[in-house]
Amino acid sequence: MIRQLPLLLIAFGTTVAAQWLNYPTPGIPRTPDGKPNLLAPTPRAADGKPDLYGIWTSGTVQGTLGETRINRGVRPEEPVLTSEGEALQARRKDNFPEVQCLPLNLPGLATAQPFKIFAIKGTVVFLYEYNTIYRQIFIDGRDLPNDPNPTWLGYSVGKWDGDTLVVDTTGFNDRSMAGGRLHSDALHIIERIRRPDFGHLEIQYTISDPKVYAKPWTVVQNHHLVPDTELLEYICNENEKDLKHMVGGR
Amino acid sequence: MIRYILISAVLATTGPAQWLSYPTPGIPRTPDGKPNLSAPAPRTTDGKPDLTGLWTGFGGVADLKLDDAQPWARALIQQRADNFGKDNPRYLCLPEGPTAANAAEAFRRILQTPGIIAILDNDLTYRQIFMDGRKLEADPSPSWMGYSVGRWEGDTLVVDSAGFNDRTWLARNYPHTESLRMTERYKRIDFGHLEIEATLQDPGAYSRPWKFRVSAQFAADTEMVDMRCDPTEQGLQHWTGKISDAQRSAVKVAPEILAKYVGIYKGVWARRPRVVEMTLSGGTLFVSVGGAEPEPLASQSEISFSGNLGYTFIRNDQGIATDVVEMHVSQDVRLQRQK
Repeated sequence: MIRQLPLLLIAFGTTVAAQWLNYPTPGIPRTPDGKPNLLAPTPRAADGKPDLYGIWTSGTVQGTLGETRINRGVRPEEPVLTSEGEALQARRKDNFPEVQCLPLNLPGLATAQPFKIFAIKGTVVFLYEYNTIYRQIFIDGRDLPNDPNPTWLGYSVGKWDGDTLVVDTTGFNDRSMAGGRLHSDALHIIERIRRPDFGHLEIQYTISDPKVYAKPWTVVQNHHLVPDTELLEYICNENEKDLKHMVGGR
Repeated sequence: MIRYILISAVLATTGPAQWLSYPTPGIPRTPDGKPNLSAPAPRTTDGKPDLTGLWTGFGGVADLKLDDAQPWARALIQQRADNFGKDNPRYLCLPEGPTAANAAEAFRRILQTPGIIAILDNDLTYRQIFMDGRKLEADPSPSWMGYSVGRWEGDTLVVDSAGFNDRTWLARNYPHTESLRMTERYKRIDFGHLEIEATLQDPGAYSRPWKFRVSAQFAADTEMVDMRCDPTEQGLQHWTGKISDAQRSAVKVAPEILAKYVGIYKGVWARRPRVVEMTLSGGTLFVSVGGAEPEPLASQSEISFSGNLGYTFIRNDQGIATDVVEMHVSQDVRLQRQK
């Protein structure tokens, strides 16, 4: 909660005056009364695969501040730490990188604020409102690198399994938090992304890190389309006020 | 000094990064397998040039001069220069905005669809250019990256942008106000070449519009490397002193000695040719780097001078400079006198 509150407040602060927030999204299916038809069939790209394009969020759109954009992830089981993981947990303080405006990792990056999925020519791009950063997923057949240079968001390749886009990501540094939990550089995230109808997106995350967790654990995140609006710019570092209040430990 | 820090960060991440030799799929190649950069520009299904691709070689120089700046802007430019540009928001890991970003050397990926174009920068920020006919809003909420709408004029993509905040810096410490407007014209000449001409105006700060031009090349068989700026590791506390401190401690050097340093010096810095010109005016030595406006140098000794960078002359028996050593944080760079 400590982590989420500052994000919510800042996001809310920029909402009021931003642009194209009521611009009707062109070309989307609508009901006879002109409202977006979120239950229309899944749109498809020229190759017949689901077209994931759209702005997606994970909370209620017009809800109160408290309801808006809260992580609605389902985490059915508490992940079990390995002995190495326990040692790591004991060593690390509550050092949440996002408090220092460093990047969030998955799935938090996709739940903190809305994001847009943009697919073209062998690449799927996530444009995140959070920190106005992006992530690229290559679906041109390349393999994950063997010995990747660690990065905040890792390296992602994807392939279609029927109507599900399966994305493999490795090459993370060990500084971020995955699903709000610490991890090592052995972190491996598999996303299974489905768009069951026009207005809904489901992402299942399987998070494995054999150094830290005894077995992989899963988070399922349901998103819905946010029509007739646009992403806002959100730059965490612009107005960072939290760090000095983060004192003490557990 | 400033530039060195950025470049060292890029170099540091370049070595072990990923997919740097991965062949770009689906691009035209010559019979020997090399990317054919002079093949025709590809087109989308609607017949428009397709700008999609990874591009490099940005780095246009704006034709804006100090004399074009209004007095408040001129004072701010001089104050920023005196601080070595330390207050640039880029050093707090804030976005550079599209104006500065287009003028900086960088990789950039363009993704084009009929309704929207996204431009991904290597600092992980992005721009969206809306192609669905919407208009720029009349009173936009100021933002770092601005708001952009585009349209086609024949084979040229024309992008209008507004809604910038007044916190980003243009090139060379130049400020701007929230009334900055930018029009970019993108033309993909052939497969491998993209010409961009940007026209900017900001009547709140400058007396005339200005332009910069960028010639970008298609970056084949490689990948963009993230440059993630970490606000916790900036080292800003080590940036001390001002140019004016050096001027106050300057010693007097006779103009006849300084006259023997006047000339053009050439060398290589950061893998690029570097040209520095020394001139003498009113008894003060001035340096101009790459054709930029001359800056005064303060004499620290008969041969050592301080400005934005430090310079030490190497002289022959007659006291005539043969070389100048330009002092960067990374290393000293020896530039040879041409005339």
